[in-house]
Amino acid sequence: MDIDKRKRELVKEFSPALENYSLKTKIWIGCLVAIILVGFYAFLVQLINGHIVTGMRDNVVWGIYIINFIFFVGISYSGAFISGILHFFKTPWKNSVSRIVELITVLSLIIGPIFILLCIGRLDRLHYLFLYPRIQSPITWDIIAIMTDLVGCFIYLYLTFIPDFAILRDNKELKVAKWQKKAYRILALNYQDTTEQRERLHKITRTMSVMIIVLAIVAYTVLAWIFSLTLQPGWNSTIFAPYFIIAGLYSGVGVIIISMYAIRKYFHLERYIRKVHFIAAGIVLLVMSLLFGYFTFSEYFARWFSHKENDVHLLDTLFNRYFWEFIFANYIGVLVPIVILFFKKFRTIKSITFAAIIAVLGLWLNRFLIVVPTLETPYLPIQDTRAEFVNYSATWVEYSLSLTGIAAFCLLFTLLIKFVPIIPMSGIIDYERDQKKYNKRQPKKAVK
Amino acid sequence: MKSNLMKHTFYASFIAILLFSNLGFAQQEEQKEEFDVRKYKTVYKFNSFKQSDNSRLLEVSFIVQNKKDRKDKIPVFEAEIYFYNVLNDEELLLGTAFTSKEGIAKLTLPSSQNYELDEDGFINLTARFIGSKGLKSAKKSLAVKDLHLELNLKEIDSVKTVIVKAYTLTLDSLQTKVPLEEADITIFVKGMLSNMPIKEGSIEDGVFEFEFPTNIPGDGDGDVTVIANIEDHDEFGNVAQEKFINWGSHKITPVKKVKNTLWSESAPLWMYIVLSILLLGVWANYIYTIFNLFKIKKEGKSINLATEE
Repeated sequence: MDIDKRKRELVKEFSPALENYSLKTKIWIGCLVAIILVGFYAFLVQLINGHIVTGMRDNVVWGIYIINFIFFVGISYSGAFISGILHFFKTPWKNSVSRIVELITVLSLIIGPIFILLCIGRLDRLHYLFLYPRIQSPITWDIIAIMTDLVGCFIYLYLTFIPDFAILRDNKELKVAKWQKKAYRILALNYQDTTEQRERLHKITRTMSVMIIVLAIVAYTVLAWIFSLTLQPGWNSTIFAPYFIIAGLYSGVGVIIISMYAIRKYFHLERYIRKVHFIAAGIVLLVMSLLFGYFTFSEYFARWFSHKENDVHLLDTLFNRYFWEFIFANYIGVLVPIVILFFKKFRTIKSITFAAIIAVLGLWLNRFLIVVPTLETPYLPIQDTRAEFVNYSATWVEYSLSLTGIAAFCLLFTLLIKFVPIIPMSGIIDYERDQKKYNKRQPKKAVK
Repeated sequence: MKSNLMKHTFYASFIAILLFSNLGFAQQEEQKEEFDVRKYKTVYKFNSFKQSDNSRLLEVSFIVQNKKDRKDKIPVFEAEIYFYNVLNDEELLLGTAFTSKEGIAKLTLPSSQNYELDEDGFINLTARFIGSKGLKSAKKSLAVKDLHLELNLKEIDSVKTVIVKAYTLTLDSLQTKVPLEEADITIFVKGMLSNMPIKEGSIEDGVFEFEFPTNIPGDGDGDVTVIANIEDHDEFGNVAQEKFINWGSHKITPVKKVKNTLWSESAPLWMYIVLSILLLGVWANYIYTIFNLFKIKKEGKSINLATEE
């Protein structure tokens, strides 16, 4: 196999996505920028007036910012987990999804913690967290875990990009901006795809893939502990950490399926992202939905059965004030994906994507139901019982900044897939090289 | 979840509520005008309480009650009540008091107050409301004997004992103590919200005695206030006496010093060790990865140089 020729073919195949910005792309980017600008205005309003412009008050101190944080960070950790597994076990179909997963991992880990900053009332005191950290506080653990994980994910993502940067650097026919070529040259780190370099890179990528699986579990466990180590009704649970990990994986697989569908459709990558990939991802989603349903049932059943006064009060709130949200999050969000994915004949690309959308929406509402109703049912009755103090209602500022987070995620994703091919070219070459070696090793069948 | 865009609706609703509530007030005023005094009867009660400092509290409760609907009770507010000590049709004014919003008028007479007594030793008291435009005059009288209550809290053979003595004084100049023959008495311990009864019994031959329970915690310092109370007695009315003593079982046990608290300056040692090992392991791997990247770069550079040569 002529490797250089194959590299040129692949660059030629993926170059349109890197070279041209179609009108559709420009409109898409324009819309995202517009949403971000509105969000920036909302941020200024919040910065000038303080948290009074949000729905958060003395009682409900955490609103949809923290829900978005948990949601994005959950997606990131599940992405890291899945990506690590794909690399470590050299899954045959990893080339089709690994870059999507890696980009989702890093971008959601960048966007998620920004919501924490929006949630902090006194940003001017943020540096105190680093100047006077309390090691015994789960918040400090979470900060350390997120920062360590972010660095790890960046390194890991970069490792998987290096061979592709080298391919793009070496291709003279690629018509991209000068700065982009210069960037490829710098980022490729003189990688020449020699056996020694390749083996070294594979070795460290493999180690990092294990590292980020462990980090994802540790970091999301720590995030779950922020809730479960308090005595609040609805939070104080021993199964919260595994429950969070399963929930994160459930939403993460959902977002990956949605992204796979959008990218396949937009870049016409039907050859690479095939139905078999959707079915495989769908089965993972089915397993996750079953596990998530099991954990959710165990969690609420134990609370209901124990008849603890505050838990009963919380369940009353969930089944009355948040009835439809509860039904969507914990019934529709679990049962609909199970029904679609369980029966073979329902497993089409569109229905699997639909199941993923339902799962993601259900998961976001599930996070909402974990955070807000608990804060609305505190242990001690509050003195001033104005409705706005007891009950949480998100304002336009919070919605706008939440949409900005999603828009920023989509914008960065769009820009990154304009910088590197969404299907790793080096992965395809490695796969073909391995296949060739494998075929050589096979004894030739005797011909009669 | 609703947005702030609803604020205007909120303001409109608020104004509407204000308007309607004003209408409500107007309706109430109309109802007030419709108040028919003939439908109500006067409930006028008079009581005497001899307090622990030997002062006497005279209390009148003055309300009007709907003749048909007994739950419909309205206190009479700011009605002036005249309190008299009566002897042989002669009324001696003790003082006056106005009824409160709850319809209660109170007059406290000091322990040094001299009363005119009848031949049987009773103090005859009258509380009178002289009447107003809407309400007829009202009057209530009662007769009480002056009872002296002594409360003694003693430790007898290490047993905490409550001894209550009740007596009257003879009318002659000798003022000899005459023990009370029989009366029901209740002993309480003063609480934050209400008094807790600890013993009910009868005074016989002027004495009531019992062992103070050992399971009363008292306040933070173990102090208790013991109250002896004779209630609604036919001859003596209400008589109370109280005393303060350190008889509570509450002991301040020093709080065991908890090493790890929310406000501890440092975390437990194991936490530092675990965190350090974890972080060192992870960051060492990062450094190892970056070191390998530099090696890749270096190898590539040497290949480039070789190709150029």
